[in-house]
Amino acid sequence: MEEIVFGIGITALAGALATVAGAAEDVESDIGSQGDPNSQVQLAPQMGYIHRIFNKAIAGEPPAYGLWVALGAGLAWAFMAMQINPILAIVLGSALAVFVQGIYATTAYLGRTASLAKFGQPVYIDILKSMTTVTMAHAFIAIFATVAMCHLMISALGHPFPLPLLGIVWGIALGAAGSATGNPFYGKERQYQEQKFGAGVPISASGNIVRYAEAGQRNSLDNGFFSAKLGGPASGICFGLIVFFELWRTVVFEEFNIWGPIVVGVVVILVFAIIDRYIEVWARKNFGPYTAPEATEEASS
Amino acid sequence: MSVKVEVGAGGIPHNQILIYGLVGSLVLIYLTYLNTITGTEYFSFFGGLAAVVALLWGTDTIKHLCSYGLGTGVPSAGMIALGSGVVAALFGATTGPFAPIVTIIIAAIIGAVAGLMANAVVRMDIPVMVVSLIELAIVGAMTILGLSAMACGTFEFLGMITGEIAILGFIVQSYEFSLIGGSIIAVIFMLGAIAIQHSFNACLGPGEQQDRTLMLAAECGFLSMIPIAIISFAFIGMYAALISLVVSIVGWLYTYKKYIELSQRDAYAWLDAQPILEPKGGA
Repeated sequence: MEEIVFGIGITALAGALATVAGAAEDVESDIGSQGDPNSQVQLAPQMGYIHRIFNKAIAGEPPAYGLWVALGAGLAWAFMAMQINPILAIVLGSALAVFVQGIYATTAYLGRTASLAKFGQPVYIDILKSMTTVTMAHAFIAIFATVAMCHLMISALGHPFPLPLLGIVWGIALGAAGSATGNPFYGKERQYQEQKFGAGVPISASGNIVRYAEAGQRNSLDNGFFSAKLGGPASGICFGLIVFFELWRTVVFEEFNIWGPIVVGVVVILVFAIIDRYIEVWARKNFGPYTAPEATEEASS
Repeated sequence: MSVKVEVGAGGIPHNQILIYGLVGSLVLIYLTYLNTITGTEYFSFFGGLAAVVALLWGTDTIKHLCSYGLGTGVPSAGMIALGSGVVAALFGATTGPFAPIVTIIIAAIIGAVAGLMANAVVRMDIPVMVVSLIELAIVGAMTILGLSAMACGTFEFLGMITGEIAILGFIVQSYEFSLIGGSIIAVIFMLGAIAIQHSFNACLGPGEQQDRTLMLAAECGFLSMIPIAIISFAFIGMYAALISLVVSIVGWLYTYKKYIELSQRDAYAWLDAQPILEPKGGA
C-alpha cells in the first residue's frame, strides 16, 4: 500500500511537470509559427503581405521536440555517467539542447526569408535577436521539465528504459500534444481575425494574416502573449493528463493484475472519446455553422 | 504521376555530389579505424566528419526527391533515411573491419525495398523514388555509423555495447553504460534525422540557392557533432573527446558565419528594427 501511495505521489509530480512542459512548448512553437500556423506565415509574402512574424520551421513539432528532449536527456545521461549530480546534469543537458534549438531557429528563419527575396520580404534582424531568445527560454522550460519527468520515472518508479529512449518517446508525445491542442488556437483564431466569423478561409484570403496590431505592427511576441492565455494552458493540461493517466494506470492497477493497466488504458481512451464526441456535438450545435442573422425588421427603402 | 518542379537550377550536378559524398564518407569513416590500429582514440572525430559529408550528399538528394511536389514530405524523408540507416548500420557494425562497406550494401537493399514499396504499393509513382531512397538509406546509415564511431571511438559492434564506468575507483565494464545500452543511438538517430532534412526544409522557396543550402547542411552536421563530442567524454579519453569538441566547434563557427553571409547575399533586404516595407502598389 505504501508503495502505491508513493507511486501516486510521483505520478502527480510527473503530471505537474508535464503540464508546465506542455504550456511552455505551445507558447514556444507559436512564437516561432512552427507547425500548423506555419503554412500561412510562409505563404503571406507570396501573396503580397509582407510581415514581421517569426518563421522558424524546423520540422513538424513532434520530430523537433523528439530531438530537443532526446538530446537533453542524452547529454544529461552522459553527464550522470561522468558522476555529475543528476539535477546539475539535467540542467546542463537541457541548456546545451536549447543551444542547438536556438541555432536551428536562426538558420530556419534566415533560410526561409532569404528564399522569399523575389516577393520583397526582408530579413528583420531585430526579430531574430529578440524572438529567438524568447523561444529558447520557453524551450528550456519545456525540455528541462520533460527530462526531469523522465528521470523521475526511471529513478522513482523504476522504469526499465534508459533516459535518452524515454526522452525521445516523451519528446515526440510533447510535440504532438502541443501541435494538436495549442496550435489551432493560434493558427485559426489569431491569424484570421481579419476574416468575418464563420467566413472560413477562401483561397482569396490565403496568406492574409494579421500583421498590424492595435497600435503599430504585430510581431510574434504578441502571439506569445495571446497563446499564453488559453492555447498554452490547454496544451499543458493535455500533456499533463496524458502523462498522469499513463503512469497512474500502471502504478495503481499493476498490483492487482498484470493485465490491469492495459484494460484501464482502453477504458480511459473510450471515456475520453465519448467526452470528446459530446463536446464536439455540443459546440457545433451552439456555435456553428455561421448563419446570417434573421431579418427581424423591414429594410428601409 | 507527380509533376517535376525545378528548384534552384544550376550549381554542382547531383551525380558529382553523390560520388564525393559516397567516397568521402567511406574514406573518412575508415580513418577512425586508425584508433584500432594505433591503439588510441584521437581519430574519433573523423566519424563526425564522415557524417557531415554524408549529410551534404543527403541534402542534395532530398532536394531532388522533393522537387516532385513533396512540400510537407521533407521531414518525413529525413525520418525514413535514418530509420532505414539505423538498421543497416547496426547490422553492418557486427562485421568488424568491413562494417562501412557491408553497411552501404545493406542500406542500399533496404532503401530499394522501401522505394519499390512507395512506388508500387503506395502508388506514389515518382521516377527518382527508388534511387533517392537508396541514396537516403546509405546517407542515414553512414550518418549513424559516423556519429557512433565519433561517440565511442569505433564502428565495431563490440565497442558499441560495452561501456566503462568507475565504481569506487575500479573500472568496470558494463552494457548499461555503452552507446547502445544507454540508448545514445536514439539521440544520434534524432540528430541525424533533423539535420538531414533541415537544410532543404529551411531554404526551400523560389529563391533557393544550392551553395546556401549545402552550407547549411554542413552547418547542421557540425552542429550535430558538438553534442556528440560532449557525450563522447563519457566513452573515450578526455583529450580525444576534447579534440572532437574543438574540431566540431571550429567547423560549426566557420560554416555558421558563411551561412549568414550567404543569407545576407540572397535576402531582399537586411534590416534592423525597421517597419514593414509594403510592396509598391499595395497588397
